[in-house]
Amino acid sequence: MTAAARPDLALKLAGGARYGTDLDRPGMLWAALVPSPVAHGRVRSVDLAPARRRPGVVAIDADDLPGLLPGGGGDADRPIFPANEIAYRNQPLAAVAAPTLAEARRAAAAVRIDVAPLPALIDLETAFPEWPGSEAARSPHVIAHVHARHGDLADAFRTADRVVEETYRTSGVHQVPLEPHACVASVADGRWRVETSTQSPFGVREDVASLLGIPEADVVVEGAWVGGGFGGKGSSLLEPYALLLSRAAERPVRLALDYRQEFELGRTTLPSVIRLTTAVRDGRIVARRVRLLLDVGSSLPGRDFATGYSIGFLLGPYRAPAFEVEGYGVRTNKPPFGPHRAPFAPQCAFAVESHLDEVARAVGRDPVAFRAEHLWHDGDTTPFGQRVGPFGAAAALEQARATAERWRAAAPPGHGVGIGIGFWSTNTGAGGEVRLVLSPTGLTIVQGEREIGSGSVLRGLAAVAERALGLPPDRVRVEYLGTADAPFDSGVFGSRTVGAMGRAIVEASAALRATLAERLGSAGPIRLDLADGELVAVGPDTRRPVRELLAPAERSAGIVATGRHFAKPNAIDEGRVVTGEFYAFTDFTGSVHVAEVAVDRETGAVRVERYAAFQDVGTVVDRATAQAQVEGGIAMGLGIALTEEAVWSEEGRLLNPHLLDYRIPTLGEVPVPDVTFVEGFAGAGPFGAKGLGEPPIVPVPAAVAAAVRDASGAHVTELPLSAERVARALKLL
Amino acid sequence: MSPFELLTPETVDEAIAELRSADDPRPAVLAGGTDLLLDIEDGRTAPARVVSLRRLPWRTLDWVGGALSVGSTLSLRSLEADPAVRERLPGLWEAIHAVGSVALRHRATLGGNLGRAAPASDLVPMLLALDAEVELVGPGGVRRTPVDAFVRASRRTALGPAELIRGIRIPEARPSAYRWQRVRPANDISQIAVAAAFSPSRRSWSVAVGGMPPRPILLPEVARDLGPGAPNEPARRSACARASREVAIAADQRASEEYRRRLIGTLLDRAIRAVTIAGEGRP
Repeated sequence: MTAAARPDLALKLAGGARYGTDLDRPGMLWAALVPSPVAHGRVRSVDLAPARRRPGVVAIDADDLPGLLPGGGGDADRPIFPANEIAYRNQPLAAVAAPTLAEARRAAAAVRIDVAPLPALIDLETAFPEWPGSEAARSPHVIAHVHARHGDLADAFRTADRVVEETYRTSGVHQVPLEPHACVASVADGRWRVETSTQSPFGVREDVASLLGIPEADVVVEGAWVGGGFGGKGSSLLEPYALLLSRAAERPVRLALDYRQEFELGRTTLPSVIRLTTAVRDGRIVARRVRLLLDVGSSLPGRDFATGYSIGFLLGPYRAPAFEVEGYGVRTNKPPFGPHRAPFAPQCAFAVESHLDEVARAVGRDPVAFRAEHLWHDGDTTPFGQRVGPFGAAAALEQARATAERWRAAAPPGHGVGIGIGFWSTNTGAGGEVRLVLSPTGLTIVQGEREIGSGSVLRGLAAVAERALGLPPDRVRVEYLGTADAPFDSGVFGSRTVGAMGRAIVEASAALRATLAERLGSAGPIRLDLADGELVAVGPDTRRPVRELLAPAERSAGIVATGRHFAKPNAIDEGRVVTGEFYAFTDFTGSVHVAEVAVDRETGAVRVERYAAFQDVGTVVDRATAQAQVEGGIAMGLGIALTEEAVWSEEGRLLNPHLLDYRIPTLGEVPVPDVTFVEGFAGAGPFGAKGLGEPPIVPVPAAVAAAVRDASGAHVTELPLSAERVARALKLL
Repeated sequence: MSPFELLTPETVDEAIAELRSADDPRPAVLAGGTDLLLDIEDGRTAPARVVSLRRLPWRTLDWVGGALSVGSTLSLRSLEADPAVRERLPGLWEAIHAVGSVALRHRATLGGNLGRAAPASDLVPMLLALDAEVELVGPGGVRRTPVDAFVRASRRTALGPAELIRGIRIPEARPSAYRWQRVRPANDISQIAVAAAFSPSRRSWSVAVGGMPPRPILLPEVARDLGPGAPNEPARRSACARASREVAIAADQRASEEYRRRLIGTLLDRAIRAVTIAGEGRP
């Protein structure tokens, strides 16, 4: 990728980008949180006096909130500090600020905490030692229950030739951004300002206002450069504490997590158990039943979204005449569940794909051919009654099979080749707007999303505008503004940036063309051209420099056009949802991956030797950025597949809150993948593009598991596929 | 990271004087820092003073016949880059090559690794199998001690209060091999590591196993089972089975006890075969 293609690269390489962890203000205090020493318990007392006696220290706890917040706080369900019950270990019980970080940490350590420990539920399976029946919905540990069904399940199971039932388990995984959460807050003159490393400045504004019980208009969020998000920086985490401390101290306050705290406090994907039952008659699937027990940590009843969107992925992109799917959100004493790139979809795809392989083998069918026969096509409806629309998975699978056959034919002994299929549905969020400003020499896209590292904002949005207006790449600039000045935007998540904000840019571009056409007196289509360094508006029979088309008031500001995109989700058949809420997103994106692995048959160790991705994308908007998204998704997915696993003690202590024992892949474990884009299955984005941030991670664990089975016969039903688990599946232990 | 005073003595005498003059607790000694700095960063240790050995003339590598003397502050990368190390002590080269990453090996040192005595050290098992000696220098002069006596327990060594590791001596070139397994191949700690070496002068094997607390250990009975040369297959298998069966094993989050037993047998078998194949069937 060239520096010109990514305008942030030179700045970042030279150390000029100020990330959240670089933020510094004159007179700033450093903050530290006072963590709960237990995962579950009652607060008897918090004594701030020893901290407050230290020079320059400001300390706050629940008792100070009424004085700091005119309304006394906003969300009774989500108190800033737990008034009574502690829900997870390290939950902040108080916060302190001091002139240096070391002093802040010493002050935090000086706070005297008295808690009465209560029994903690850490492993969700201890709540359900036996696989639960429908009584699970009444368990006090279940805070969300989503249930959908369709078709005559009982008849299908009764008349089936073969019923296969299996149970899969998945582990907790962290997002692992290079930069931990960090922010600097300053409260003055009734304005609550915070500069923060976030995927969603507007999301943080909404969240902070709701948590503190103050009007959104009084909150200003500025996005710092973001050193990676991967879903972990989508809503507020530290900002309320920094703001409250700043208000108490009447000075700017910086609060940043160190890496251990990032692991311990970050909201992320938690463990699950998935049971899948499939009925086959005459070689075809006639019914499927899937039940999910999902650890949602200390998420609150009614605030657990994970169960509602996870069940959308539990059936995979496959047709079934009859189905039943149930998700149970199990509350445990861990931090609340949070999104991780394509939240929980890779785990679902692992279970679905591995299970359908097993079903195919059980009825003597080729696993890939069997899946291909059931795959969604345009014109199908999903199990939830959504229209599938153009879906490139079958076309991608055809290419993937050819690659897999070629690799298998050349594979040395001990190697195996596997195919994984996954899908994603773009989440366009609450929508967004952009403002285009055309000057005589270039175009500026003014908007409120911070580039989080993928290039989707700085390069992706620019590429959309270049294409929409026919502009050369070096004439488009993407400008970020904070929430006080930018048009509203939901943020970088759900693979929505190019898809949704790109649509807003296309709309604004059309408005800009209309303005230019009118001023040019041209009835036909307008494009922009470059002559002698100046932009020229070109109509069918006339051309004039943009400079000459500016109204007097536009001479300094340029011609402004706005565009918005507020998508409706792809409607579901409500009649199929029996209980709870199913979160439906928009279009469907297919991803088919091929992995070649070597399995050590004496130790179970797996090494990924080759990798290929066939990615349904609709239209490639910017090839280098798209390629990087796929490569990054694969690298992250290989971590979920093979090495990443959060481990908690029975007391709820995270046992591996560091990069030594929480192992993301190094480049040595990630082969350079062959990436093929499958175009032509149009999505809802600009020019038929589909979002690409999340789809490429989805099928990775499934592809690796299939390859491991092909190589060694090991059928591993738990993620990650550590050498020890493979060794057990090979009966070496 | 808590603040500390960094001392950079120019001579060995100055370094020892710094250690002697310090009040209790003893200052931390910095010889690369790839392990020490993590502990300081995480607050596991908070030394008021850190004595850096970087200016001492100990970045040396000398072959005297088949014996190798390595100064304690020579980078692992320099050792790895020496063709004679790879040729005469292949197991040591493999062990060094297994440590962290290239960038880390540019900073890390043999003396630092020994002095820190991490339970999962990748170097200690091989140094044990090579009968390496540690050369210590202190107020009372120089003394030598076998690695087996020097490394006492997890993070505990036989270093005296004002002593420093001056160097490490390996008495002879030995056909040798180092085999390890980790959850992730790079930048990780071994679940099990096995070092095997054959002494041509003594006509005997040495076998050590590491990757578990409290410290890497020699397995003399296993070595005896292998006999005075290339073992036949039954002897090799029986020695591996004994190692797998008899070693005291700790289970932790890196591996279960039964998986570690499995790995010891498998990796030892591979190490012994590597030594005998390299020696064309005769170590």
